[in-house]
Amino acid sequence: MPMQIVPDLQENIKNFEELFSDCADIKKRKIKVGKNLKSECYIAYIEVSVSSVDWKDSAVGKFLGKLRTLPEEELAAYVRDNVFDISDSPPFETIEDAAQGMLTGDALVFLEGYNKALKIPDKGYPGRGVYETESEKVIRGSNEGFSESVKINTALIRKRLRSPHVKVRESFAGRRTNTNVDLVYMKDLIHPEILEEIERRLQEFEIDGALDSGIIEQLTEKRKYSPFPQFQTTQRPDRAAMAILEGRIVLLSDNSPVALILPTTYNTFIQTSDDYYSRWEIASFTRILRYVASFLAMVFPGLYLAMTNFHTQILPTDLLLSLAASRQGVPFPAMVEVFIMEIAFELLREAGVRLPGANGNTIGIVGGLIIGQAAVDANIVSPIVVIVVALTALCSFAVPNEEFATSFRILKFMFIFLCGSLGFFGFLIGLLAVLIHLSHLESFGIPYLAPFVGADLNGYQDERDTFLRLPLDFLKKRPIYTRGGARIRLKFNEEEKRNREGK
Amino acid sequence: MFAENWKISLRQIRRLFVLDIFGISSLVLPGIFSAMTGADGIFCLLLGMAGGAALLWLMGANLKHMDADFYSYMKDTVGQIIADVFMVFYFLYFATLSGYVLFELTTLTLSWLLPEGSFLGIGILLLLLAVYGSIRGIEGRARVYEIIFWFLGIPLLLMLIMAIPEINTSYWTPIVASDGVQLLRGSTSVLILLLPLSALLFLKPFSRSPEKLAACGRDSLLAATLLNILIYLMILGAFGQNAMGILKRPILTLMGMINLPGGFFTRQDVLMTAVWFFALFALLNTGIFQGSLVLKELCHETKHHYSLYLVALIAFFVGKGLFEHQFLAEIFGIYQYCIALPGMFLILLILLLVNQIKLGSKMGKEAEADAKE
Repeated sequence: MPMQIVPDLQENIKNFEELFSDCADIKKRKIKVGKNLKSECYIAYIEVSVSSVDWKDSAVGKFLGKLRTLPEEELAAYVRDNVFDISDSPPFETIEDAAQGMLTGDALVFLEGYNKALKIPDKGYPGRGVYETESEKVIRGSNEGFSESVKINTALIRKRLRSPHVKVRESFAGRRTNTNVDLVYMKDLIHPEILEEIERRLQEFEIDGALDSGIIEQLTEKRKYSPFPQFQTTQRPDRAAMAILEGRIVLLSDNSPVALILPTTYNTFIQTSDDYYSRWEIASFTRILRYVASFLAMVFPGLYLAMTNFHTQILPTDLLLSLAASRQGVPFPAMVEVFIMEIAFELLREAGVRLPGANGNTIGIVGGLIIGQAAVDANIVSPIVVIVVALTALCSFAVPNEEFATSFRILKFMFIFLCGSLGFFGFLIGLLAVLIHLSHLESFGIPYLAPFVGADLNGYQDERDTFLRLPLDFLKKRPIYTRGGARIRLKFNEEEKRNREGK
Repeated sequence: MFAENWKISLRQIRRLFVLDIFGISSLVLPGIFSAMTGADGIFCLLLGMAGGAALLWLMGANLKHMDADFYSYMKDTVGQIIADVFMVFYFLYFATLSGYVLFELTTLTLSWLLPEGSFLGIGILLLLLAVYGSIRGIEGRARVYEIIFWFLGIPLLLMLIMAIPEINTSYWTPIVASDGVQLLRGSTSVLILLLPLSALLFLKPFSRSPEKLAACGRDSLLAATLLNILIYLMILGAFGQNAMGILKRPILTLMGMINLPGGFFTRQDVLMTAVWFFALFALLNTGIFQGSLVLKELCHETKHHYSLYLVALIAFFVGKGLFEHQFLAEIFGIYQYCIALPGMFLILLILLLVNQIKLGSKMGKEAEADAKE
């Protein structure tokens, strides 16, 4: 049963302090107000979230200053009449709601004779500002990255999309964390059923804490056993803004610098922001490289095993002899050798990620160069396997999205096993299994393999932005994520068109 | 939403059928023609295509009168019992087709990819994969083949272009040297391999443009026949009629003979086997999916996948039988020539005729009623 706020200040203070007993980080003060300082108000806030040192310049200080200029009997009436000038939200009627309001990082004020509580905004929780992204580096384009504050993140998107059609729907996840979850989208572009679907999925679970968008991602994914992510993640506001312009929805979660984009496809994971900022030839070339890399990151060690263990007739004799010579003295079968090296590489990678900055780099050098060379010299592995593993790793790094690249890293082990035991037949079986799985997969109703499949749904327009990123003139229509009737994104006026055609 | 609407596009259907027909026919037909007609195999292919076009015409004519699905149409036209008999006929066709394709696919794997393997291991793996491919309906299956169509087609066309220097055009003669019986037998073989096109009849509820299904089938037939003619001419030009008859799979041998520029890969037969592997797997999938679809409708199964497992099981035993006993292969051939082929035409013809008679009598009654008024 919620505790109602009553005009009796002492009663409210008792209830509130009961709720926040043993909370040393919460500052609670009684302050005299009114012209003659005969009335009282009660203020509560989280220690570092409100400027308690310099009250004069803060919103709380100014509000209290104003209360000290008014006669005691007019205080409640003044607050009641000016509540929306003072606070950024409606006044709270229960102690629980008021407590929740304070926990967003603002100050809370109870006033003698007033049966509601006010939230007064201040600087809020401490947080990182807007920094450069650590991942998703680009050569051309903005370097701003999302921060841990959902409010800053929505503002970073708004900064790029200055349109009243951009809507932000707020909800909360986590019974005990009450984490802000914002859905940002362009109202006239999205398919409403996709918005309904994500809102439904957000309502489907109740968890004690949602500390990162990753938790929300896992709880709202449809195919939980798929190695492939069904949300695209980004730390770049420009990428998120671009997705919104395509009619997709961005999910931002407080305390997480990683935004989720939905729906998503294989193709969107391969795209980067600077694909659209660079000339089409460069963008297309790098995109083809990334597609090839995503494939090789999964199958290269497996193909090596299939060719060298089962189908040696494919390779020229010289190469075959050189491979055989390099394996001389290695005590393990080729499959075990590849497996050991891949595991060693994954260990190095994990160690590099967990160690602090400079040490992380060192482990890469120590592991890659020194241990690698020592392993070859000791005849534990052959040099060709080191090359194969290194090339596979390079390929996985070329995939722009970390989660997506991880799927290929996991599947790589399946291919090592299949190709190592069944040769090229194993490779074909594995490839078919992955293809069938991908063809069954979808993200919020969009086939994962779109636009390579179902391209007819958008008049085959989406195929212009796949392996090749055709010149922007050709990309006049938005992709399938946009609702029908709102797909035109580029128009030339008639005069310009005539000039272009040289008439 | 867009996915899971259980509808597939005409492009997906076209690609699926091209692979279904091309895979098995390009592997099997050269061997059959070498024993029968030699260079006249081209005429067999053309005559077979004409037969396929006739079958498609019959299908198109029936599809026009079809409101919902094929089974309902049959029930409305010839009654429940005969419709059930026809459905059993289609079920047997697709189930045995799956078994035959499993046998061919396993043989291909054992000959070219994994000689030390066994039918049991390879067959079970392939069937598991086929069941996985079919379990979520037609959409996933259509997508797989929509996406890999050009990944298979482009290397194949490139390899065929590179095989041109191997061709000796004198092997293309003599022509018109076969007698009528041989030509008829060759054409019938081609037509039998075109029978998977009858799956079109069951695709109306799954097609985004059902009115164009027959035209889509004709496109697939034309594309597959042209590809088969090209491949046959190349194989015949490369090996001649006699050598072609000795080789197990002449097209794969041809792939192994091609020298790629740069000479890094010395033999491509293993790599190019992927084309036929995927194409045969498409047909295996078609057989299992269509077989289970027919069985599902017959048994009114809605929730479970028992029919899918049953078809897979039948396919396994048919495949194993064909693999181990030569006489079963002969029986299978007789079944195809004497039951499956005439049956396909006959059923469609009966349905069309009964439908026309019913329509005629209905119109007559209406005209009579009008006249009375």
